[in-house]
Amino acid sequence: MFLATTLFLASCVKDLDTLPIDPRDMTPNNVYTSAAGYKQVLAKCYAGLSVSGQQGPAGNADISGIDEGFGEYLRGYWYHQELPTDEAVIGWNDQTIKDFHAQKWGSGDVFVAAMYYRIFFQVSQCNEFIRESSDDKLNERGINGADREEVVRYRAEARFLRALSYYHALDLFGNVPFITENDPAGKFFPPQIKRDKLFTYVESELLAIEPLMRAPRTNELGRADQGAVWALLAKLYLNAKVYIGVDKYTECITYCKNIMNAGYSLEPQYEDLFLADNENSSENIFSIRFDGSNTQTWGGTTFIVRAGIGGSMAPADFGVASGWGGTRTTSAFVRKFYPDLAANGLWSSPVYKQHKGAYPILYVPGSYQEWDPTNTTTVLASVLGDEKYEGYLNFPDASTQFKFCTTPDWTNDYGDDGSGTGTLAHPGANIVAADAGYYKINVDMNALTYTLLKTTWGIVGSATGSWDVDQPMTYDATSGMWSATLDLTAGKIKFRANGGWALNYGDNGGDGKLEQDGTDIDIPVDGTYVITMKLGAPDYTYQIVRASFDKRAMFWTDGQNLEINDIGTFTDGYAITKFKNITSTGTPGKNKEYVDNDFILFRLADIYLMYAEAVLRGGSGGDLGTALNVVNKVRTRAYGDTGGNITSNELTLDFILDERARELYWEGYRRTDLIRYGRFSASTYLWPWKGGVADGISTSAIYDLFPIPSSDVSANANLLQNTGY
Amino acid sequence: MFNLYKFIPMKKRILWLRFLLLLFAFVSASAVYAQEFSVGGKVTDATDGSSIPGVTVVIKNTTMGTVTDIDGNYSIKVKPGDVLVYSYVGYQTQERAFTGDKKIDIVLAASVSSLNEIVVIGYGTVKKQDATGSVTAIDKKSFNQGLISSPQQLIVGKIPGVQVTTLGGAPGGDAVIRIRGGSSLNASNDPLIVIDGVPIDNTSTSGARGTLSMLNPDDIETYTVLKDASATAIYGSRASNGVIIITTKKGTAGGKKIGLEYSGNVSIATVPRTHKVLGADDFRSLVKQRYSGNNAVLGLLDSVNSTDWQKEIFRTGISTDHNIAISGAVSTMPYRLSVGYMYQDGILKTDNMQRTSIGLNINPAFFQNHLKVNLNAKYLYEKNHFADNGAIGSAIAFDPTKPVTATNNFGDYWGWLQPGDTLPVGQATSNPVALLQLRDDNSHVNRFLGNLQLDYKLPFFPDLRAVLNMGIDYSKSKGTVYVPPYATWVYSSKGTDNTYDQDKNNEVLDFYLNYTKDVKSIRSKFDVMAGYSWQHFYFEANNHNSNVPHDPAYTSDVKAKKEYYLVSFYGRLNYTLADRYLLTFTLRDDGSSKFSKDTRWGLFPSAALAWKINEEVFLRNSKVVSQLKLRVGWGKTGQQDLGDNWYPSLPIYTASDQFAMYQFGNVYYTTLRANAYDAGLKWETTATTNVGIDFGFLNDRITGSIDYYIRKTTDMLCYVPVPAGTNLSNYVWTNIGDMQNKGWEFNLGLKAISTKDWKWDINLNATTNKNEITKLTVNDDPNYAGVLVGGISGGVGNTVQIQSVGYPMYSFYVFQQVYDANGNPIEGLYVDRNEDGKITDADRYRYHSANPTSTYGVSTTLSYKKLSLSAAGHAAIGNYVYNNVSSNRGVYSNLYRPEGPYLSNVTSDVYDVNFANNQYLSDYYVQNASYFKLDYLTLAYDFGNLIKNTLNLRLSLTVNNVFTITNYKGLDPEVNLGSSVGIDNNMYPRSRVFVLGVNLVF
Repeated sequence: MFLATTLFLASCVKDLDTLPIDPRDMTPNNVYTSAAGYKQVLAKCYAGLSVSGQQGPAGNADISGIDEGFGEYLRGYWYHQELPTDEAVIGWNDQTIKDFHAQKWGSGDVFVAAMYYRIFFQVSQCNEFIRESSDDKLNERGINGADREEVVRYRAEARFLRALSYYHALDLFGNVPFITENDPAGKFFPPQIKRDKLFTYVESELLAIEPLMRAPRTNELGRADQGAVWALLAKLYLNAKVYIGVDKYTECITYCKNIMNAGYSLEPQYEDLFLADNENSSENIFSIRFDGSNTQTWGGTTFIVRAGIGGSMAPADFGVASGWGGTRTTSAFVRKFYPDLAANGLWSSPVYKQHKGAYPILYVPGSYQEWDPTNTTTVLASVLGDEKYEGYLNFPDASTQFKFCTTPDWTNDYGDDGSGTGTLAHPGANIVAADAGYYKINVDMNALTYTLLKTTWGIVGSATGSWDVDQPMTYDATSGMWSATLDLTAGKIKFRANGGWALNYGDNGGDGKLEQDGTDIDIPVDGTYVITMKLGAPDYTYQIVRASFDKRAMFWTDGQNLEINDIGTFTDGYAITKFKNITSTGTPGKNKEYVDNDFILFRLADIYLMYAEAVLRGGSGGDLGTALNVVNKVRTRAYGDTGGNITSNELTLDFILDERARELYWEGYRRTDLIRYGRFSASTYLWPWKGGVADGISTSAIYDLFPIPSSDVSANANLLQNTGY
Repeated sequence: MFNLYKFIPMKKRILWLRFLLLLFAFVSASAVYAQEFSVGGKVTDATDGSSIPGVTVVIKNTTMGTVTDIDGNYSIKVKPGDVLVYSYVGYQTQERAFTGDKKIDIVLAASVSSLNEIVVIGYGTVKKQDATGSVTAIDKKSFNQGLISSPQQLIVGKIPGVQVTTLGGAPGGDAVIRIRGGSSLNASNDPLIVIDGVPIDNTSTSGARGTLSMLNPDDIETYTVLKDASATAIYGSRASNGVIIITTKKGTAGGKKIGLEYSGNVSIATVPRTHKVLGADDFRSLVKQRYSGNNAVLGLLDSVNSTDWQKEIFRTGISTDHNIAISGAVSTMPYRLSVGYMYQDGILKTDNMQRTSIGLNINPAFFQNHLKVNLNAKYLYEKNHFADNGAIGSAIAFDPTKPVTATNNFGDYWGWLQPGDTLPVGQATSNPVALLQLRDDNSHVNRFLGNLQLDYKLPFFPDLRAVLNMGIDYSKSKGTVYVPPYATWVYSSKGTDNTYDQDKNNEVLDFYLNYTKDVKSIRSKFDVMAGYSWQHFYFEANNHNSNVPHDPAYTSDVKAKKEYYLVSFYGRLNYTLADRYLLTFTLRDDGSSKFSKDTRWGLFPSAALAWKINEEVFLRNSKVVSQLKLRVGWGKTGQQDLGDNWYPSLPIYTASDQFAMYQFGNVYYTTLRANAYDAGLKWETTATTNVGIDFGFLNDRITGSIDYYIRKTTDMLCYVPVPAGTNLSNYVWTNIGDMQNKGWEFNLGLKAISTKDWKWDINLNATTNKNEITKLTVNDDPNYAGVLVGGISGGVGNTVQIQSVGYPMYSFYVFQQVYDANGNPIEGLYVDRNEDGKITDADRYRYHSANPTSTYGVSTTLSYKKLSLSAAGHAAIGNYVYNNVSSNRGVYSNLYRPEGPYLSNVTSDVYDVNFANNQYLSDYYVQNASYFKLDYLTLAYDFGNLIKNTLNLRLSLTVNNVFTITNYKGLDPEVNLGSSVGIDNNMYPRSRVFVLGVNLVF
């Protein structure tokens, strides 16, 4: 019995050695049995840039201490690179988020900590992969042949991803803890590495893996190749002066040239780069992948698309269920496109929402529409409901006959009483319009009278150069609209009929609704415009669209103020419509909650501008001719023609900085660019809300680097805080 | 595991069958003819032989009885088998069965009152007067009254040092229990609960209303709370937060063969208060005033309608509760079988709970009482319809100028639509009534708790007992959630169609030997116990989430399966010298599978001394001091309950679900993430020192106790940031940090009036507790504020609390508001506390804590003959609450939201602050929430014997949640201590309940 008891107790004590019983929880021994297992771990090294945890869109988070959406890598990166600059503000009340605009974040900031820990999450996951894919481990596990070749390449990619995150660490934080695959997960105090030493490490890693990576554009979509390595090297060298105090522009040019010769080409339409099907663009060098069905997150491009939608923007036009009403831009950035922009803002074409069926209508069946009294597109309307109807109808043929019906049938039809004085009778005779043309018709059903006025329309005003000479508009029967394409200068316009003032329309209140003798319409900026006017039944509306301009200026201005009085109000500041969950063919993405858009981290246009900048900054190996040529390639695409091309005199460093803003805004490079130009902190460049003040004020240079989060300074005895925090 | 254990279920089945046969035999043999006899006698005092007048003599289980006259004589009619009960205040109650003797004289011994009670402690029992630790027992007589839908509600405010907070007014009445403030920061602060010897699982069960929902409150006999380490350390591993031992009612030997008892009630729950929001007219005028001329906004107003949304979602809830118990004994086989059924409608429309419970206990003894068998089985079936609690917040926020219904494609409930009127506004508040009526959320929970205890006194060595206890705590639950695709809030995802199920199976096996020896020669008593315990916890859950068309893009399966084990060895020595010097020493060695081989064992000792001063010669004959005991104890307990993570010290790779895959080429890959772990993780330890005095005066008309304790927790299991890059994530469960709780506890019982007709009992208790985090990081960086906690509603990720060194846990961490000359807060203006010229995060400060500095409980019963009035209340002082309803809703910017657009209501206190935008981090919203609550007021009348000897009736009328006295500006100052501590955010309001109760004994 004693023996039995002893055995019993011993076996129970053995129960304490339990291992996970859920097949989804694996241990290293059953993960790394084949290249396929390795690939799944590698996939996490990539996915760490994209999703926030092992459940999409949230759940089983990778890092803690922060809302999961905020803790997503790209969203954190975007916050750090865009919100402290002139390109973006955010309206929310989330924790300390407004400190980004004000450049007053502290070492306890949760967003800063989230980015920092995200970087080190990437580093430690990559370290784990690199450790588990060493030659020794592969030998030990018997991974050989083709499998082994694959794993060796995966390992180089994991080193690339680690270098990428260390690059972000050195750019954002400077002096950070340093951990490699030689430091297994556990409890210890990692040493702090200085910014210049980290530069050297990242450079050496990238150079070491360059020959191990696949040639440009030959790897699976989504995986890094030599092009990605070159692009990151080019970024590192372009900013070397900031990081290590030494110019490396020549090296930058070398790697830009590698890419320029590798078969990449500009996407023909700029806007297609930011749509739901942007993954296949030949301009892409390296992208972070997202998918509405399978790669869901509250961060990433879902954040970029949805946070930017609010006010009068219709979420459906952006392929999402709803907007989050958060991000806009400052007037300083708008002025990168419109340097002479007036204080009252960019001209915006008002959009008037017609009250469909809001007014009583009178049907006008006739020979021009096959005598159909039920046709609701050929009607007059009584805006005041006082039985006085008016509207415009197009009669394409001469001698058009028609009648008026108060109901959509022939029971209450009215025609001419035969007196020829414009008097109506029931049923009366068919009314005849002698000439073909666009008629204004007025009917008074109380007095039983009607009038016909044939009209042709034109535009006059200071913007056209004359208040007397009409610029004619043409009528398109299919769309039912009058239109004209005109070169206008900043000024005013009005619409008028038949070259006189008897019948003219302006816009009271700028709501897009036309009124007889209404207020002159503003054209605040010089340019070529397509002007359309829709008459028909009231209300009458119009639209004015710029015809030839820098199409990268994708602002939503309807209902938005140019200037920001209150960061918390979405309608203060223009919204950005660059990113949409809509494909290039116009179909919405797979899911209205999470977008399909990939985030293109490195693309050719960026490399072109880097090349030009490095040449201008005195790097050798490139030339100004090529620089001008590639910059104008970017400009030509932006304008759709060569109208925006610049001359060699215009190719200056200042131009490059502004051009980078115009080309790459909201793509996560603004902070780095401003710092390289010395315009991020201090007072060399002020923009609205810099320093937390509406007009912008000077800020301290300490904000050129983010602080090491105080939680890590507390946890790691080896860390020294960055200067000033 | 040894094979023996696997056979238990089958054995149990056989026992069940046998029992049912027996039961059938009892019932059919119960009609017995009875003849009456007259019995008389005299009652005298044991100390001096004097006669005692006024002694109550009743026939047990009836209200038939009499009282002794001035000479101590009595006379009463009895039947054979009746048991007479003799009771008088200050004396020990005696029972005597009528066996034919016509004269029964009784000698009553002065009671050392309640201290003679037996109290249960870990793995055994002890006379209360011999207890060396801080142990408080209360039995069913002292339980709270009225609508009791969860066991925890029975002891709200009753025990010093034990804070019980109901989580709100939802049916089922789940509550959180904190004993002496809780010992852990991130690990569990729930006490260990042991029901009839089975330590139960205190994690929540999917689809169940409460963690203690396996137990019908009506079946509970006693609650015993072990507070200090000398009492709890024998439970070692799970006892750091105190232990609550619950025993359930049992049949008694020597009583009736069959007794039948019915207790039931009908109750009406009303909504005492709702949040103050603007009415439709005020709302209209405020919107018109603030958006004058802005037709885009004014066009959203509805000029006709007026809806009080809170009125639309709440109702008067009717509930009933019925319990029938059959109990008695057949020779040496006492039994009790109870059946209960509760039907409870929540005050939130559509919220409903039904619970059916069956409890069975048989505790026969065999071989001349050498083998005592105790079999407990409790089965519970709970059926729920859950209301969408989000409706509470929506009702506060919804535009009052909108109608409830409309003719549309969204279930005919009015909702905010995008311009064009075809799609709902995704960001807008959902129609609260639609939230309730369109969501179908049902669950079914089955739970079984059973154990078999064999207590064998060795025939050849009667001082030695061997006790084997085998128990099982099993639950199986499932549920469904359905929202039709036309509901506005799920319109874009085409509805919700989810199912879930969960299995939990926890098993325990205890075996111990107990040796008692009274060595008269050296005036010593020894009570030695040594044992072994094995526990196994198993969890499995499956969630199938989808939308109504079951589109693959919206369909996912989340599954989880895990287990852990605890193995322990323990021993206890109780030594009593001269019946007045008591020593207890315990030692427990615990192993947990959550820790690695090298660190998994923890040794938890304790020692305690007690001195029964009243047994000393100088007090023995005191007429004033009836009891006086000094207790001093010290001990350590362990903690390993760190939440959901049952493998925190193993390297594990977790696979991604289908929504978190990553695409290479055209293939989506399931990713594998290496999780953070700490291979060196070990036990968190709490050392408790306790000094206490128990006293009784004037023949125990005044009794009470005073305790002082210090609890120091070291090597806290914390989920904290670790040095970046060292582990596989930024947070990991690791042992770091220390914490301290110290405080006083007072308990006072007063028999203010005790005459034949009038009785007035008063019980008071008071507790102070001071909590302080004393260490949290490796480095003491002055810039490190601490770990932010206390997420609130509004914005994303906003937190208002912090865990930092030198402060109580869950201290509020906010900006100091600046006020104008009239005392009104100035929007966005805060004190620059670090005087650096700008307001940054560094200007936040620690401002009060959610935990009260002191708590109080009071209960009293006044009775005159058969009429009694009882009441109980509790109070907390120094607790602060963050008024999240006000901070989130009480600002003007809520009126109109351009993303949508839509309108929403604001709370009336917007006029107090005049804030345009939310100022979430202002200390204005951290409000003093000290309170006193009268928990119940009961008027009861005991009709006594209605029909001769066969029917006793007691009727009672109770009001629960009678009133609250507080200065707190929100709805209810007693705020949810569940996942958020001290943050008031649309809590389910506690209802005021009127209860009519009936108790019938046959």
